[in-house]
Amino acid sequence: MKQNKIKFISIMVSAAVIISFSCSVHAGQTYKLALSLAITGPTSDAGNPYAKGVEDYFKYVNDNKLLGDDIIECTIRDDQYKTDVTKRNFEEFLDNGIVFYLNYSTGSTLALKQDFEEEKIPVIPASFHAGNLVDSNYIFLPIASYSAQCIGLAEYVAAHHKGGGIPKAAMFIHPSAFGRGPVEDVEKAVKAGLNMEIVEVTEHGKDLDNTAMLQRFISKGVQYVITQTIQSPVATLLKDANRLGLAAKSFGEEGKLTFLGAHYTGGNDLIALAGPAAENFFWTTSYTLTSEPGPGTDMQLALAKKYGRDDKAANSHNYTNGIMAAQVAAECIIRAKAKGSKITRETLYNELLAMNGDNAFKLDTTVGPVTYSKTDHEGVDNLQLYSVQNGVFKSVGKPFSPEYSKKIK
Amino acid sequence: MMSYFFQLLISGIVVGSIYALSALGFVLIYKSSRVLNIAHGQIIAGGAFITYALTVWADIPIYISFFLSMIITFFLAMSVERIFLRRLIGEPVISVIMVTIGLMSILDGIIYLTPFGSENFSFPVFFPKTPISFGGVSVSWTQLVGVIITFLLIAAFSWFFKKSTIGISMRAVSDDQLAAMSVGISVPKVFGLAWAAAGLSAAAAGGIIGNITGLNFDTLHAFGITVFPVVILGGLDSIIGAVAAGIIMGLIQQFASGYLDGHFGLSGTAEVLPYIILLVILLFKPHGLFGIHEIERV
Repeated sequence: MKQNKIKFISIMVSAAVIISFSCSVHAGQTYKLALSLAITGPTSDAGNPYAKGVEDYFKYVNDNKLLGDDIIECTIRDDQYKTDVTKRNFEEFLDNGIVFYLNYSTGSTLALKQDFEEEKIPVIPASFHAGNLVDSNYIFLPIASYSAQCIGLAEYVAAHHKGGGIPKAAMFIHPSAFGRGPVEDVEKAVKAGLNMEIVEVTEHGKDLDNTAMLQRFISKGVQYVITQTIQSPVATLLKDANRLGLAAKSFGEEGKLTFLGAHYTGGNDLIALAGPAAENFFWTTSYTLTSEPGPGTDMQLALAKKYGRDDKAANSHNYTNGIMAAQVAAECIIRAKAKGSKITRETLYNELLAMNGDNAFKLDTTVGPVTYSKTDHEGVDNLQLYSVQNGVFKSVGKPFSPEYSKKIK
Repeated sequence: MMSYFFQLLISGIVVGSIYALSALGFVLIYKSSRVLNIAHGQIIAGGAFITYALTVWADIPIYISFFLSMIITFFLAMSVERIFLRRLIGEPVISVIMVTIGLMSILDGIIYLTPFGSENFSFPVFFPKTPISFGGVSVSWTQLVGVIITFLLIAAFSWFFKKSTIGISMRAVSDDQLAAMSVGISVPKVFGLAWAAAGLSAAAAGGIIGNITGLNFDTLHAFGITVFPVVILGGLDSIIGAVAAGIIMGLIQQFASGYLDGHFGLSGTAEVLPYIILLVILLFKPHGLFGIHEIERV
């Protein structure tokens, strides 16, 4: 009898323990998100720190219970910059029941656009190609498009050109949709009255020597080169310009070339590749940089330290880029929860559309607030111009919003 | 106008020499084993990264690192042949080429596991920053040293194949493996040496390209494919052909870019022309400019 009593008590205690544990497990919801990007392969120099930024920020959300007992489970997969692999990853993510998706390349974002529409899933890519937004309801760019960035650079050229006449510029672009996209928009801005002449548009290859091109630019009176590509060809271009004595020592120096570039042309990776030749390169992005300390970069460095990232990742603007995309996704969940909504693709999509006016998302990792609406799917409209001074990017002037990118719409 | 022409001429020779050095690895392996090593670009990148690691991480002076890297890559390439290719002696050439494609993926995977797979680096500045200028034509010290190293290595390899016993053995193996074996030449040893020599030249090319473009894996390993038209144009088994074709390609690219791009609505001709030439050459001279045209009696 006594033995039965002990057995009964043991069973009851065990049951209580199991129930209490299972209660704590089920106390919160798990929200499934996913990211497919190039952790290896082409452009992985950007994708790798981006993935770390996303991973670390979601860990931070969970560790600090920013969603209460609920957690974010974000699956991150390498696609090696291959669109077919991205598509396969995305399909698996859908099977797992994701409510929000982070994509990466221009190619795969364009290729999956229709899938995003059919699945009605909100997507933030790492590609800022304006063409992503054409015929799409569900893609949201985190910051101003490459087109807006190039127009912003052109506006800066027009406004700060010294000497007489119309400033002459060339565009040095990536041979892909990523590179070609902005050309037409800059040309439209020029037609709409932007005081600049585009003398030539050149798509680059795997060039070991850009002498011919640089000499040609000079012979045509080009003074500014707007680059829209990745760091490696820009680094070779800058080295050649320095070797030939054609690189301007200050903005707009007469008879020399001033180089400017959009988001993926710059950052610490450009300095790592070009070395001293990167000096005076002008670069625009919407992100804050660790070379210009502030609350956003303090948070970024603390996050990198907390999760054991090395200095290179911690100071990468692509790490910031990943953190910011994750911040927007987490904010949507926080806002939907605050309203008592169930977390679904639809509610998160609606939260993105409502992110404007007083509801704009102000965060410190960017130089302006994130604003989305039904007609505006570009997140941060503001850009900051930076230039390399003594081996680090320093801000030039205040954040600005390119006027002509609105005029040509 | 003349200085512009001469600048393009010099730049073409510089670029062409580096193409020739990069192409040399293909030729060395093909010359002795009739195998086209598709993974050559990965070996070029590997050589560049070893030089960087020795220079920056192990704090060895760059000139010594450069030579150490060539020696290390020499043995690494020899090991690759030993592990992956030796068993394929006598097998159809297509099997061996497929193995080199597999090897390319394996090397990619290994490099992606290191920081070199997804990060950018540059060698510390060790040459004078001021370029050498004469009559409006300028060449950087990196480019000049690159050209000198290229010609030294090419001269050494040419001498090696023509005069040394091992070089002659390698040519014999290339002509007829069975006949070479029957006179006591060790075919496996010759293959190993061919791969090792290709590794050595790849490390030299990687070091020079890395100095010019910075160290980015995608840029470096892409050179394996970029120099392919050069290899075909020169003739797969000719060292002199690689040099001539390299310089021809370098000159064509620079002059096309200098005189055609931006005129007549043209752009990117430097990228396209090598492949147009490649097609024409394959149509009219399938063995390239200096390749051996084998005549078989039937």
